[in-house]
Amino acid sequence: MTSSYLSVALGPVRLANPIATASGTFGYGLEFADVLDLSSIGALFTKGLSLQPHEGNAPPRICETPSGMLNAIGLQNVGIETFLREKLPLLAAAGATVFANIWGDEEEEYVEIARALSGAPGLAGIELNISCPNVRKGGMLFGNSPEATASLVGKVRKATDAPLVVKLSPNAPDLVESARAARGAGADVLSLVNTFVGMAVDPETGAPRISFGTGGLSGPAIRPLAVRMVHQVHRALPDAPLWGIGGIETLSDVLEFMAVGASAVQVGTANFRDPGVSARLVRELDAWCAERSIAARDLIGRTP
Amino acid sequence: MRDIKARVTSRTDHAPGLFSLHCSAPDLAAGVRAGQFAMIGVEGRSRPFLRRAFSVADVDRHAGTVEFLVKVVGVGTACLSALVPGEEVALLAPLGNAFTASDLARGDRVAIVAGGVGVAPFPLLLRELGSRGVVADLFFGGRSAPDLAYRAKISPLVTGAEKDATDDGTAGEPGRVTDLLARTLGGGGGYRRVYACGPTPMFRSLARVLDGKGIAAEFSTEAPMGCGFGVCLACVLPKPGGGFLVSCQEGPILAPSAVDWSRCR
Ligand SMILES: Cc1cc2nc3c(=O)[nH]c(=O)nc-3n(C[C@H](O)[C@H](O)[C@H](O)COP(=O)(O)OP(=O)(O)OC[C@H]3O[C@@H](n4cnc5c(N)ncnc54)[C@H](O)[C@@H]3O)c2cc1C
Ligand SMILES: Cc1cc2nc3c(=O)[nH]c(=O)nc-3n(C[C@H](O)[C@H](O)[C@H](O)COP(=O)(O)O)c2cc1C
Ligand code: FES
Repeated sequence: MTSSYLSVALGPVRLANPIATASGTFGYGLEFADVLDLSSIGALFTKGLSLQPHEGNAPPRICETPSGMLNAIGLQNVGIETFLREKLPLLAAAGATVFANIWGDEEEEYVEIARALSGAPGLAGIELNISCPNVRKGGMLFGNSPEATASLVGKVRKATDAPLVVKLSPNAPDLVESARAARGAGADVLSLVNTFVGMAVDPETGAPRISFGTGGLSGPAIRPLAVRMVHQVHRALPDAPLWGIGGIETLSDVLEFMAVGASAVQVGTANFRDPGVSARLVRELDAWCAERSIAARDLIGRTP
Repeated sequence: MRDIKARVTSRTDHAPGLFSLHCSAPDLAAGVRAGQFAMIGVEGRSRPFLRRAFSVADVDRHAGTVEFLVKVVGVGTACLSALVPGEEVALLAPLGNAFTASDLARGDRVAIVAGGVGVAPFPLLLRELGSRGVVADLFFGGRSAPDLAYRAKISPLVTGAEKDATDDGTAGEPGRVTDLLARTLGGGGGYRRVYACGPTPMFRSLARVLDGKGIAAEFSTEAPMGCGFGVCLACVLPKPGGGFLVSCQEGPILAPSAVDWSRCR
C-alpha cells in the first residue's frame, strides 16, 4: 500500500509502510503468494541465509508453549546461490521489498555473503543475524559481546554499500551496549529482538521437548519483554532507527512498538497461525491513521 | 492454499475421545484430493497458539462439507472437541500432496494399512479407488477395540477384504496389523500398491515388511507442524543418506524409501 499516511524511513531505508515480516517465519516469501500480495507489505526478511546450503538440527524442532513456541530449527536454508538464482528474481517480479537475513560461523563468511549479495537486483538491504540461539557456533556468539559485534559489523560495513540492518540478541548481557557497538560500527538500522533462549521438558521422561535441548522462545509470550527492550534502546540511542519485533499479532501491538520507538515492525510467529496477518495489519493501520488524520511516522516514540 | 472460515455443521462421536467434525467448506469439498490435509485453528481466548494438522477424512460434495476425524490427545484436539454446530473454525487448506491412484485400473488390488486414528485419510481414498473399480483390502489395527470404532463408517467403502488386529485381542486378531499384512503378503497378496497411515513404529516395521518385495507403497507421514505450508521448517523427516525433507511440502504422502525410519523418533 502506498498511502502517504504510511510511509516511513529508517536511515537509508524507505518503506511504503512499516509492516514487515520477520526472518525464519516467512520462508522465502513466495510461499505466501496464495494468501497475500507481496508488494502490499512494507518489507519481507528471508530465512537466515548462509554461504552454503545448511541442513539444520534434528527433529523435533519446535514445541508449543503458553502463548508462543520454542524453536531450534538450526538455520536450515538453501544457501545464497540458490536464493539469488531461484528466489530473488521471483520476489522482485512480485514487487516485494526484500531484505536478506544472513549468518555465518565466522566473520569472513558474513563478509563473503554480504559481498555476494551487494548490488543484487531487487534486494533492498541486508540484515545480519548475530543473535541466533540455535546453532553451536556463530550466530549468538557475535551478538553476545559488544566487541565482537563491533568487529563483525565493521567488517561487513566495509564490504557492502547496501543498507545494513543488525539484528540484536535479547540474550546479550547488555543490550544497550550491543546496540551502541553495532551503530558505532556502521549499522544503519537495528532490529530487536530475536528469540529468547528457553527450554521445555517432558515431565514423564525428563527429556527436553526439542532435540537441541534449548530453543528460542517467540510469540506473544515475549511481547512485553521486547517492548521494554525497544523502549530502552530508543531512550539510550534516540537517533538509531529501530525495527521492533516480538509477538506482534494485532494492530494494537504494532502501535505499542511504534510508541516506544520502533520506526517499523516485523511480524514473526503470527505468520504461522495466520499467513495473511501482515497484509491485514497494513490495511488496519491505514484505516486507523486515515481516521485520525495522522501519519504513521508521527506515531514513533510517543512513549516518554 | 486458502484460509477458509468454515462453520461446524455436525459432530459424530465414534468412541470416547474419537469423533468426526463436519464443516461447511464447498470449495474445499470440491477440490481436495485424498491424502491432503488442513491446518485447523479455533478462534477465542483460550485457544492453542498454533493450528493443528488434520487429514481431510471425507467430503460430501453435494452438501459442500468436509469431514475430519479427530482423536483427543492434548490441548488443541480438546479445543476442537468442545466445538458445537454453528461455531467457526479456520481451515488453511488444502495442504500437502495426495495419494496416487490415477495409474490404477479396474480390477487392480491394493492394500490399505491403518493404525488407530491413522485411518483418517482413507474414506476419501476409498471413494476414489471405488470409482475406478480398484479392489481395496483394509488392514485396520489398534491397541484395543475402541481404537477401531471408526470401522462402522469406513466398512461400507471397503471393496475388498477387511482384516482387524488389536494388541489386546479385543477386536480382530491379537497382535500387530503389520504382522497381519506380512502373512497376507506371504500368500501372494498380489497388491499393486500399499497405502498406510499410522504411528512411526508402524511405519518402521511396515517398511521392513515391504522391503525387497517390489510393491509400491505410499505412507501418509506425520511430524509436528508449526505452519503446514513450508515456512517454519519444523516438520522435517530424516532422509536416507543424510539431510531432511520438509514433510508438509514434499509430503505428507511419501514412499517408504524417502525416509530413514531408523532416525525417526
Ligand atoms: C499431516 C498430518 C495429518 C494429521 N491428521 C490427523 C487426523 O486426521 N486426525 C487426528 O486426530 N490427528 C491427526 N494428526 C495429528 C494431530 O495433528 C495431532 O494429534 C495434534 O496436533 C495434537 O494436538 P494437541 O494440541 O491436541 O496435542 P499436544 O498438546 O500438542 O500434544 C499432545 C501429545 O501428542 C503429541 N503430538 C502432537 N502433535 C503431534 C503430531 N503432529 N504427530 C504426532 N504426535 C503429535 C505430542 O508429542 C504429545 O505427546 C495429523 C498430523 C499431521 C502432521
Ligand atoms: C521457527 C523460527 C525460525 C526463525 N529463524 C530465524 C532466522 O533464520 N534468522 C533470524 O534472524 N531470526 C529467526 N527467527 C526469529 C524471528 O525472526 C523473530 O525475531 C522472533 O521470532 C521474535 O518475533 P515473534 O515473536 O513475532 O516471532 C526465527 C523464529 C522462529 C519462530
Ligand atoms: S510445518 Fe512448517 S514447514 Fe512444515
